[in-house]
Amino acid sequence: MARLSLPALYARTARAAIAGSAADRANLTLQVFGMLINNGFMLTLWVLFFAGFHSVGGWRLRDMALLTGLIYAIAGVAGVAFGGYRDMAATILNGEIDALLTQPRPVLARLLSRDSLPIAWGDLGTGLAILIAFAGLTWRDLPALAFGWTCGLIVYLSAAVTFASLAFWVGGARSLARDLTDFMILMSTYPGSIYSGASRAIAYTLLPAGFVVLTPVAFLRRPSLESAAMEAAAVIVYAALAAGVFHFGLTRYRRGASPLGAG
Amino acid sequence: MKSTPPSEPHLADIARSALAGARAGAGQTLAGWPVLLGRAVFYVLLLTVLTALWDKVSTEHLPGGLAGALPRQGLTLYVGVTEWVALSIPAIHLRLEDDIRGGALEAWLLRPKSYLVQRVAEACGGMVVRLAATGVAALLFLAASGRAWPPLEVLGLLVVVGPLAGVIGVLLLTLAGLSAFWARRTLPVMLVIQKMLFLLGGLFAPITLYPTWLARLGAFSPFAAHLYYPAVLTLQTAAGPGLRDMALAALASQIAWTLLLGGLIAVIWRAGVARVLRGEI
Amino acid sequence: MPPVISVQALRKDFRYPRQGKGVAAAVRGVFAPDYQTVHAVDGISLQIGEAERVAIIGPNGAGKSTTLKMLSGVLEPSGGTATVFGLTPWRQRSALAYRIGVVFGQRSQLWAELPVRASFDLLGHIYDQRGPDAVARREDLIARFDLGPLLGQPVGRLSLGQRMRCEIAAALLHGPDLLFLDEPTIGLDITAKAAIRDFITQNAAGAGQTVVLTSHDTRDIELVCDRVIVINQGRIVVDQPTEQLRRQFLAHKLVTLHAPGRTVTLDLPGVTRRASEPHLAVFEIDTRLVRVEHAVAAALEGGGIEDITIEDPPMEEVIREIYASV
Repeated sequence: MARLSLPALYARTARAAIAGSAADRANLTLQVFGMLINNGFMLTLWVLFFAGFHSVGGWRLRDMALLTGLIYAIAGVAGVAFGGYRDMAATILNGEIDALLTQPRPVLARLLSRDSLPIAWGDLGTGLAILIAFAGLTWRDLPALAFGWTCGLIVYLSAAVTFASLAFWVGGARSLARDLTDFMILMSTYPGSIYSGASRAIAYTLLPAGFVVLTPVAFLRRPSLESAAMEAAAVIVYAALAAGVFHFGLTRYRRGASPLGAG
Repeated sequence: MKSTPPSEPHLADIARSALAGARAGAGQTLAGWPVLLGRAVFYVLLLTVLTALWDKVSTEHLPGGLAGALPRQGLTLYVGVTEWVALSIPAIHLRLEDDIRGGALEAWLLRPKSYLVQRVAEACGGMVVRLAATGVAALLFLAASGRAWPPLEVLGLLVVVGPLAGVIGVLLLTLAGLSAFWARRTLPVMLVIQKMLFLLGGLFAPITLYPTWLARLGAFSPFAAHLYYPAVLTLQTAAGPGLRDMALAALASQIAWTLLLGGLIAVIWRAGVARVLRGEI
Repeated sequence: MPPVISVQALRKDFRYPRQGKGVAAAVRGVFAPDYQTVHAVDGISLQIGEAERVAIIGPNGAGKSTTLKMLSGVLEPSGGTATVFGLTPWRQRSALAYRIGVVFGQRSQLWAELPVRASFDLLGHIYDQRGPDAVARREDLIARFDLGPLLGQPVGRLSLGQRMRCEIAAALLHGPDLLFLDEPTIGLDITAKAAIRDFITQNAAGAGQTVVLTSHDTRDIELVCDRVIVINQGRIVVDQPTEQLRRQFLAHKLVTLHAPGRTVTLDLPGVTRRASEPHLAVFEIDTRLVRVEHAVAAALEGGGIEDITIEDPPMEEVIREIYASV
């Protein structure tokens, strides 16, 4: 019997989740368009802002557009193809991983691919539109964009998985994990030049907005081996952290030490 | 004594039940203190980011830019007040949506006390508690980041204008909630209100920085009474005629909009309840 | 032949932080939590052979689900040993997964928004099911569980009974030799329960599968299993053939009669009055002495009966009775 590789299996389960999220067409359309309008409005505010102030610590509108486009595109892909991350803490707390543990393939992959968020298509759409129309990118930037997008996505998902894994230790982790993820997005939607001191430290550690968008943006504007290496290192560190925390959490869960009911 | 059924409830009765509702709302909000704490943390984080943004902007005086139009002391206090008010409004629209669409409203209509007065009063009670908690967080944030507190006169005015601003916020969300009589979800109306808060209410920046026509439109909207007018008080450096005029403008706008929104809500409520009684929901 | 499942002195303890009241206690709880230990499974030993159908029963919180979770590799025990097909479940989880099928009655393993067929396809990939054998097994299950008309429907729109049939078929797609069923009939109506029981019995008999199910419904045990293990407070209280247990402890039915007249009487050997209120009486029928149909017929003959309900005694009562006899 041929065994499907993990990426191939992931693609199949994620495709199933996407098909499931698209089952209610009216809801999907409403959410996608709602998100498009919402994101478009926020961009308009920034356009007005930069029309008035021209620059924030060296950041101009096209830099802001690159940042906004990138974070929307990252949140979009995360929500569409890895949508299970959003409610992962609740999934853990509800004991829904029991069934996955009786099955042969890796649990984390199954958790991430169990859901797909309709609004994420709206994020992805706005993200791409902004990147194409306002970010001042050319074809030559495409490889750097692909690099930054992929790395930012991995750091974002890794941080979100780490936050959700807190559910293995803390009963109230559901809203905590969501809040931390939302804070990370919030910090990722402002010009990087505004952070200094403590806020800069937070943006490059606890809520890694720095590695989700700021370093990728810097790399796109001035590609250098140094910023590429830094981003790659961040990807490895955050992915390893997420895998480690999830693994330890799962071990703890299977020992029955997690804050969950037992039958 | 003849026992005639009361034709109209007395104003004093309504006030009493509103007070009881407000007290219940405040008590519930206090009981959920971890949520309250989380809200304060969120507020501080948001303030950190927004303050950093405006500080950076005001250090750059590019030719032709608006930065020169920014107040000398920065926008920290302005942004602090808008978010202080905006984050303190309980999600009464979701409550109304649940009750109207979930059928709980019908049971309420049988009782003598007004459902709407009760819910709005609860929301106002919760709002005051949140204002207090977030207000303390704001003062701590200012102290910790080495910034000056607003002058005592301004603080005193905020204690009055802040809750009034909160009432307008509750009324705006009540309007959104009442849309549940006609639509399954209140979210669309809610999103429109949120956008208006940015555009006309000065949530992002003082509306005076916008094009003149937009600023003028904003100044005469309930959204400015909700956020801009209380916040702009902090841009007055000292007590004096400037501050007094500002405070009067704020109070006038807030009182006028409280009455107008209240009347509008009463009309819409009647129409909505009529729909329920006709069995159209 | 070596047993399929072999368990020695298996234990599982859970630790819960004791929650105090108020802010001070909550803060203290974060830094110096005060733990309370619950022995969910407290030294269980058993052996289950090939093609045996075993029910593990007991009241809520007795440790049945925890035992099942340890045997299927979900949970690690606090002590003791267990092997399933010679594997240690919690250490060789993936290898074991291919040989067992698991159904959790309260959780779905299917994709709610998608048609049943899509869930079967996905599970096929998860368990590496390709080739003619897998196709034949799948077709056979679809025929046996009568799923043909359901295949194209989204799982979320099925009735609970239909969904449960799909869940069990899904757990059998990879041809496991051992089937774990955790409360497979929970929440189902009487007809759906009966249908599920039929499917389980027929399937197990046909495929020579070992079945271990947990339930708190005594009918599940009687109709599906050859052997019953009663667990209470984490310990095995009784382990014996169903037939024997039935004769000893499940030989009673409760019949409630409603009548417009003030008193309700039923005088037969083997019938005892358990409770009575105006217009209502509950009788316990000893089915070794009198058949339920006879008792009911006798009651109806008397006339004036408005309503009749027939029930099994609650599980707790059966357990109490078993305890009293040990």
